Amino acid sequence: MYLSINWLKDFVKIPEQVSPQEIASRLNQHTVEVEKTIIQDQQFAQVVIGKVLTVKKHPNADRLRVTTVDVGKEELTIVCGAPNVAEGQFVAVALVGATLPNGLVIKEAEIRGEKSYGMICAEDELGLGTNHEGIMVLDKRAKIGSGLADYLGMNDAIMEVDNKSLSNRPDLWGHYGLARELSVLFNVELNEYKPKEIKSEGQEKIKIEVQDEKACPRYMAVMIKNIKIAPSPQWLQDRLLALGSRPINNIVDITNYVMLESGQPLHAFDARKVDKIGVRLAKNGEKIITLDDKERILTHQDIVIVDSEGPIALAGVMGGKNSEVDDGTVSLIIESANFNSAAIRKTAQRLALRSESSIRFEKSLDPENCPLALRRAVELIKEIVPSAKVGGELIDIKHFSHHEHSISLSLAWLEKVIGAKIPAEKVMEILYRLGFKVNFTEVKKTKSWLGLFSSKEQPENFIVQVPSWRAKDINIPEDLAEEIARIYGYNNIDPRMPEITLDTLVINQDKRVERLVKDILVLEEALTETRNYVFISEEQIKKLGGNIKNYLQIANPIASNQNILRQELATNLLANIKNNQAQGNIALFEIGNIFLNQEGIFDKEGNDEEKLPYQEKRLALVFSSDNEEIDRVAKGSLENLFWRLSSSSVTYQENKNIPTWADNRESAGIYVNNQLMGIIAVVSKKTLEALGLKKKTIVMEINFSHLVDLVLKSETKYKPLPKYPALIRDLAFVLSSEIVYNDIKNDILKFDPLIKEVDLFDIYQGSSLEEGKKSLAFHVSYQANDHTLTSEEVDIVVQKLLKHLAEKYQAQIRNF
Amino acid sequence: MKLELQKLKNEFLENLEKATDSNVLRDLELKYLSRKGELSQLLRRVKELSLETRREVGEMANIVKTELQERFDHMKNLIDGKETQGKKIDITLPGIKKPLGHFHPTTLVERELEDLFASLGFMVCDGPELESDYYNFTALNFPKNHPAREMQDTFFIDKKNAQGEYDLIMRTQTSPVQIRAMKQFGAPLRAIVPGQCFRSEATDARHEHSFYQLEGLMIDKNISFADLKGVLLAVLRKLYGPETQLRMRPKHYPFVEPGSNGECTCFLCKGKGCRVCKYSGWLEILGCGSIHPNVLRAGGIDPTEYTGFAFGFGLDRLVMLKYNIDDVRLFHSGDLRFLEQF
Repeated sequence: MYLSINWLKDFVKIPEQVSPQEIASRLNQHTVEVEKTIIQDQQFAQVVIGKVLTVKKHPNADRLRVTTVDVGKEELTIVCGAPNVAEGQFVAVALVGATLPNGLVIKEAEIRGEKSYGMICAEDELGLGTNHEGIMVLDKRAKIGSGLADYLGMNDAIMEVDNKSLSNRPDLWGHYGLARELSVLFNVELNEYKPKEIKSEGQEKIKIEVQDEKACPRYMAVMIKNIKIAPSPQWLQDRLLALGSRPINNIVDITNYVMLESGQPLHAFDARKVDKIGVRLAKNGEKIITLDDKERILTHQDIVIVDSEGPIALAGVMGGKNSEVDDGTVSLIIESANFNSAAIRKTAQRLALRSESSIRFEKSLDPENCPLALRRAVELIKEIVPSAKVGGELIDIKHFSHHEHSISLSLAWLEKVIGAKIPAEKVMEILYRLGFKVNFTEVKKTKSWLGLFSSKEQPENFIVQVPSWRAKDINIPEDLAEEIARIYGYNNIDPRMPEITLDTLVINQDKRVERLVKDILVLEEALTETRNYVFISEEQIKKLGGNIKNYLQIANPIASNQNILRQELATNLLANIKNNQAQGNIALFEIGNIFLNQEGIFDKEGNDEEKLPYQEKRLALVFSSDNEEIDRVAKGSLENLFWRLSSSSVTYQENKNIPTWADNRESAGIYVNNQLMGIIAVVSKKTLEALGLKKKTIVMEINFSHLVDLVLKSETKYKPLPKYPALIRDLAFVLSSEIVYNDIKNDILKFDPLIKEVDLFDIYQGSSLEEGKKSLAFHVSYQANDHTLTSEEVDIVVQKLLKHLAEKYQAQIRNF
Repeated sequence: MKLELQKLKNEFLENLEKATDSNVLRDLELKYLSRKGELSQLLRRVKELSLETRREVGEMANIVKTELQERFDHMKNLIDGKETQGKKIDITLPGIKKPLGHFHPTTLVERELEDLFASLGFMVCDGPELESDYYNFTALNFPKNHPAREMQDTFFIDKKNAQGEYDLIMRTQTSPVQIRAMKQFGAPLRAIVPGQCFRSEATDARHEHSFYQLEGLMIDKNISFADLKGVLLAVLRKLYGPETQLRMRPKHYPFVEPGSNGECTCFLCKGKGCRVCKYSGWLEILGCGSIHPNVLRAGGIDPTEYTGFAFGFGLDRLVMLKYNIDDVRLFHSGDLRFLEQF
């Protein structure tokens, strides 16, 4: 929203020496966010008035003209493209070095071989309108060589306020509301907003019926006769233009003016075109052509203004074409109403039609402001169109309860929540200037509460009556605390450190383990941490052989390739591999959430009945490498991780839960102490091809809460050092490739109590072996608890073991 | 036998002359001079000779052996010396590259903040990223028609409740964890919540639909707005230096009252004004305020007994400022050229 400082000064007497920047800065610190302050005459610093002396055709371009322009000090040659440039015109000339409001910097230029020293400006180039049909032609009062700002009477400063910072303050959507804030911030009087009462000058009756009271808490209207439509006077046009609002005609301009001043949107109907007025919800499918010439199809949630034939306006959003004020309009019905904020918001949003009116109504305006705005409009109409007469009685249909609620405010409490002592007098002054009525209960009234209190007479409690325009946002003492604190100044409150009872810190085990895991993987295992979107695409799922049927989806995704919630971290990690293939071998990990379309454990509604969908934190590792044994390298990292976290060892066992992107035989469960922690899988050839991956790729995905449980349960206990030495014998044999390591290893380990450890040190499959065979080689460690083993003792076990393996697995023993 | 000895000697010396490196020398030593080498084998056969010849040959053999060993040693010294001479270490050479892992930059800044707040007794809390309308909005005192609840700002899950409404969303802020933490731990409470949030927003260098916040809250008896200022100032000074200032101005958030935003002295230019702070000398990095009594109530805490404050940092922004990162999209890019810089 734009604010004119001159306009604000209609209502508050801010001392002359206060600069616009200072005003903006105060507002920024205490009320709203001022994004920009434009000093008008600085904006046109290098734009002067010139007179066109000659116009010649450009020798090399049909559409261009070469002009000479008198700008007072000199005569400039300027190439101009506008069709309407003519000798004798007074024009706005941007001199070399000027920066126009749209950012254009004027430089000396050569245009198709002709030098040009400046630019003759069009309206839009100066930010004065949207017209780009031709250059702006000024009237004869223009003085050659003087600044354009002077000519335009631009001695104002315009502040641009961030609309978001006004969203909770319906009272600040007009100049008067902000003037009230300035009166507090500069401690100056605020002029009362008191337009003349409306006096009926005729007998005309308007039939008005409000059918939906909730949709329209207040509807006021008055008929004005003897109107003559004409352009607005210059002062009114200037004010509108300065705020970026295009002048149309006197009546429309007055309604806009009153809205910018009071914050209350008005609408003017041509009384000839309207036989009566009704306010109701639209019927589904009902149509209206709005002022922008677009047909709008309505629903039962939209509020419409209707006459006997149907909709004549989209209430609070935009007028209808069929009741529009036009050049022939002679009588008006002016509406000043209050509409349901939620309904207006919904309509504006559904139709993508956010008007100056709708953005105000959707903030929930004060119905008490309706009469003031209407009175002001009538006052202005009678001033600008002296023939105008009020055609009949003022109509006011009210369906809201007039109440100004009160809040009890204790000064002791205020000091407690703000943490600073703000004197009672200051508190009262702030509230009073903001429009609150303040009474106090705990101390006898002195002659004037704005006078000084003696220290003994400090009041303890106030009863604060909230004005109607703050009824929506001020309801509890905390709201008053904010009012007092912000005006007093957040920056005037001294910081202090809380005084509290010392206590030990509760450790979040999940976060602690997360930190450990990251440290181990990054610092020891040299993996790189990545953080991916939780969103994936249908295409990704398909390439991984999955089906989107069971995935949770986003109803309003930002992009069609980010519309589904991931069910495994692998999906985006594999995309990472693809995107980084040029970087060589890759080892990445991620800790993040997955989402399943089934009931989870988190409470949904605050009552522990329903639950949110299932969400699981996971750790995933992905390796991609030229190394054929990358799967075992990856496992090495995983095993180190588990050993570091819990001194436990990992096994890989067949598991039914095989990812869609892996082969059965190349996927397994990751187990620690017989607890399934996650899965490990090699990405299948088919999937590699589908994804365009070039290297062998392996993924491990672990349920993070299992990991945390494991860490919490794990206890590292010292084992006494062995009293008797172990003997190590190597064992190597060839057997069918079908037989898996786990079976053999466990079999050997269980074979004899003397066998303490079995450690695979070589595995071979290849040309020197029969097809379908592999060779495994183990260090087997033998140890007795009560004596030193002799070679002979071990030999006996070895022989038995060999025999057993030969029988059970048809293993052929290889000799060393 | 003498002949054999002579032959062996000549053969050895001939080979020794040709030797150019220590490998060849080692082979020669193994073949001729070692315990199982040819010279030893020959010497063992001396026993088989007659007593007379045995002495003669024996003496000769010993001479040959000593001579060969000396010649060998000489040659070895020569070659070793030469080798070290030629293999002079270039101490300026770089090391052999070992694989190195990398933390995500967000992790690094998150840890820094977690540690800092831990030193003030703030625990770390977390909660679900897929949230309910209730925890993300209602419990945080958002009115029913607040714009944040609309499709243009919030990602809704395509799953309607019994009333036919979308009531599951991707959390738009870490604040729902305030309520969950209050319910779990009660008052007094000091906690921070680092986490990912989501808003339906087109991405560009400065906007991201998935981003990180770090939220904090403190609830106790007699906690005031001034305490909020004190804690924030202490944290900012620890992060950005003892000269850092905090500047606040009113800003509306439904879950705090009074509500404020917070700017700190630009730590890049020390407040002098630079490109990053848009020549203002200040960086807007947080939102904060005193916790609204309705929020305390939703968390099961009696607002007449306890008060509190809450604040939220845009974690991504802090990371970008710290490392001079100019494109927020890099955080989720998974691009190793980016990640490997940290």
